[in-house]
Parts: sequence; C-alpha cells; structure tokens
Amino acid sequence: MSLFRIDVQPARIPAWVLSWFLFAAGIAVYFYAAEQRHRENPDDRVMPTITQMVRAFQDAARNPAESEDRRSMLATDTLVTGRRFLISVALLFPAVLLGLHMAMFPYLGAFFLRFFQFFDKIVALSLLPILFIAFGIDELSKIMLIVIGVAPTVILDTVNLTKSVPREQIVKGFTLGASDFAITYRIVLKQIFPRVLNSIRLNLKTVMLFLFAGEMIASTDGLAYRIALLRRHMGMDTILPYVLWVALLLFAVDLGMSTLNRKLHPWFEE
Amino acid sequence: MSISIQNVAVDYASRRILNGIDLEINAGEFVSIVGETGCGKSTLLRLILAEERPTEGRVLVQGRQRSRPDQTCGYVPQKYSLFPDKTVLANVIFGLDVTSRGFFRKHGHKEEALRYLRHTGLNEADAKKYPHQLSGGMQQRVAIAQALIMKPPVLLMDEAFSALDPGTRRGMQQLIKDLWRESGTTVVFVTHNTREAVCLGTRVVALAKDCERGSSIVLDLDVPHLDFDTDESHLARLITRVESASAKSPQVIDETVTRIR
Repeated sequence: MSLFRIDVQPARIPAWVLSWFLFAAGIAVYFYAAEQRHRENPDDRVMPTITQMVRAFQDAARNPAESEDRRSMLATDTLVTGRRFLISVALLFPAVLLGLHMAMFPYLGAFFLRFFQFFDKIVALSLLPILFIAFGIDELSKIMLIVIGVAPTVILDTVNLTKSVPREQIVKGFTLGASDFAITYRIVLKQIFPRVLNSIRLNLKTVMLFLFAGEMIASTDGLAYRIALLRRHMGMDTILPYVLWVALLLFAVDLGMSTLNRKLHPWFEE
Repeated sequence: MSISIQNVAVDYASRRILNGIDLEINAGEFVSIVGETGCGKSTLLRLILAEERPTEGRVLVQGRQRSRPDQTCGYVPQKYSLFPDKTVLANVIFGLDVTSRGFFRKHGHKEEALRYLRHTGLNEADAKKYPHQLSGGMQQRVAIAQALIMKPPVLLMDEAFSALDPGTRRGMQQLIKDLWRESGTTVVFVTHNTREAVCLGTRVVALAKDCERGSSIVLDLDVPHLDFDTDESHLARLITRVESASAKSPQVIDETVTRIR
C-alpha cells in the first residue's frame, strides 16, 4: 500500500485534503459534542455552540469592556498584548548580538558562556515572584519575565549558529583585508541572520507563553488577562474565540516573519 | 624569498603531524604540494596562511612572521570559498570594499570586479547570481577572481579543484596557469592529484606520511614549462617519480632532501 511507502509523492489534491482533514474532524467532533451537551442541558456553558461563540466574539469585537473605553474589548486587549509582545521580541535582538559576539570574540565567550548556559536552565516562571518584587507588577516585570525566559535560549542558539559558519569563510575574510568587526557583521551576521530569524520564530510561542503567564497573574488588561477573568465566569463562549484569535495572531506573525525572511534573504535555502 | 619555512614541526594532541619541514619558495614560483591523504599538506598550507602556528620553527612570508591570516596571502579553499549571502559581484568586490573608503573609490570597484570576472570566463549575467546558482567550476572561478582582485603577493589554493568533474577541472587548471603567468603571483597549490601537481607547478614538493615521526618532505622537484599537452611518457615518468617518493616512508629517504633540478 503506497500510504506507508517512503518514496511516494502525494498528488496535490489528496495532499490538500489530508492537510485539512484534522481541522475538519476536530471542528466536527467539537460541534457534535456541543450539540449533544446542549440537547441534555440547554444552559451548558462548558461547550458553547457556534452561534454562541460568534455572538460573543462579535460582542467583544464591537463593544468596549468598560464604558469609558474608546476601543472595543478585543481591540484593546490585542493592542495591549501586542505591544508587550513586540517589545519583548525587539529585546531579543540585542540577545542575538550578544550571542554573536560571544561566539566571535573568545574572551567575551569565556566571560558570558558558562553563565548563560546555567541561566538557561532556570525555570523563568519560578522567578516570577522575585520579578514582581523587584520590578513591581507593571509592564517591566512581564517583559523581564519574557526576556529572562527566552533570551538565554536565543543567545545560546546564536552562539551555535555563529560557530557553525565554516572557518574558511572567516579566513577568507582576513585574506581579503576585512577587520574583526567587518568579519563579524558583514560576513558572519549576514550569513546566520536568516537562521536567527527562524530561531526567533520558533521561540514566538514561548514568548507568548511567558507573556500570558505574566498577564494572567498580574495584569488589568490584555488577552490573557481577559481569558483569566472570563474563566471565573465560565465564559467559554468568549474564551474559545480568544484562544483561536491568539493562535491566528501568532500564525500571522510567524507567516509574516517567514515571508520577510525569504524576501530579505533570497539566497537562503533551508 | 617569498615564503620561507624553517625547520617547522607541528603537533596535534601530542602527535607529530609535520616534522623538520624546510622549504624556500621564491617570488613568482608555482609550487605544487602533493602527498597522500592525511600527510599534512593542508596543515602546511595553513601554516603559510598563518591560520596555524608551528610547534617548532617559523614561517616567514615576504620576510615577516604573521600572527594571523592577512592580505599577504590570497586563499582559495576547496569548499566554502564564497560568501553565500552575496551575489557573485558582491563576493568579488568584498575585499575592495572593506579595504577602501570613499564613494568615488568604491564606484570604480564594480568595473574592476567585472573585468576580473570576464577574465575568469564569467559574464555580467553571472555577476548577479548567488553562489548556489552556479556550478562548482563557476564558483571556483569566482573564488579565484575574488582572491586575485586583491593582488596578493601569494595565492594559496587548498585542493581547489578536487570537487570538480574532469572536464571542468582541466579548464580550471588552464585558467589558473594562465592567470599565474600574467600576474606573476607566487602560487602554492595543494593537491592529492599527482598529475595535476606535475602539470601545474614549476616545482613539485612531495610529502610522505609518517604516523610516528611526522610527515616530511621527501621530494622537491623542478618541473619547468610543463603543459597539459606535454609528451605523455615524460609526464608519466615524472608522475611515477613523485608518487613513488611520496609513497615511501621518510625514514627510507635520505635525511636531507636534495632539490632536483
């Protein structure tokens, strides 16, 4: 049977059908179960129907959470979380530069590497109480949580990527008259940058995870705050669309970064 | 004297790789270094490049002992010779760009790079391509142009044509020989292919592998004005001579290698 052969090339239409099958199956199973529950108990709030979810999502997208807010609840939450997310991702770029320098300049490597190897093993969430004490419960503590949680991974990944650049390229740079910094920025950084962007892409979910942890514990706004708040009221009709909305946003950011990576680095082949 | 290698020995992890290497290379010579795999040919090249330091002895290029690779030596390795993120033109221009300042100076670089590319058999359409869009032979042509545009006094080539098919290889051999004749650059060419070494070099240096005492030079042979259309039997005699020398253990060769003229 060709299904279990490793040398087959699936035809386009079957491949497309297969790739969407689990989505369709998941949705179908959910709505069947929701329908069953609602037949038994019309007031069931654990598994809302599609109509309930659409209504709740429209409500969130049109009406503000507080009467004095200018924007809708969904827009406010998305903007607040998005701002924190973007600041956190932007703060990962200095981490990339640190990793690059640690790998290129042996004395910097000797100074930082062991520290970050250890620091990477600290469970960032366990630092949350310390961060709240040190930085308060404002924005800074949430952003610091993300930076502490993700930056060491990005730094170590950048060190590895930098070291994977063939030695011949560096020697070649020297023989062409390039200085240490020209080799670092014009040869090595340019070569590893598409892979660094991929590494950041792979860490986007971790960034969001830490952001959600911070927002759920100590925040008065944001997508995760709203989910935590609605959980108390069993507002599954809003929580589920919010979860899908977050996934969709992350998917869009990932797709955007991937497209940008391809446009910026046409030479890069995975 | 362009390159002077004086009583050099190299140890790796308390194992001697090269031992008692003495070699004087004059400016403008084309020296092929040949020997079986693992005999230390590339190590010898890296010593000249100043990428490695000898455990004993010293290596002088243009009368200077260097602490790391610099513009004195151009370098064409077998692999990773081009920067993958740059177009062919940007690869060739790179050296000129990083060593000069000022817009007007940089403006002339493109023309010069194109001239070098044309000289190595590439055209303007190729200049816009990325290295991965070129064949292995074309990539090495670009690598040669990239190195030669800096006009290095010494050009070091490490198995530069080893990965090429025979036809492309032949073309590249002719190209490098022509470029050497025109530029007068000192070329040190490392290869495991004895025929290539004999046909290209004006001088062939053979290393013999010795796992205990370290590899050393067992033959230093002048082969002036040989070409690819040289009488096959004469070529065969030379190849046999070089191969039989490099296949022997250094112990069975005379302690002092005499340069054969």
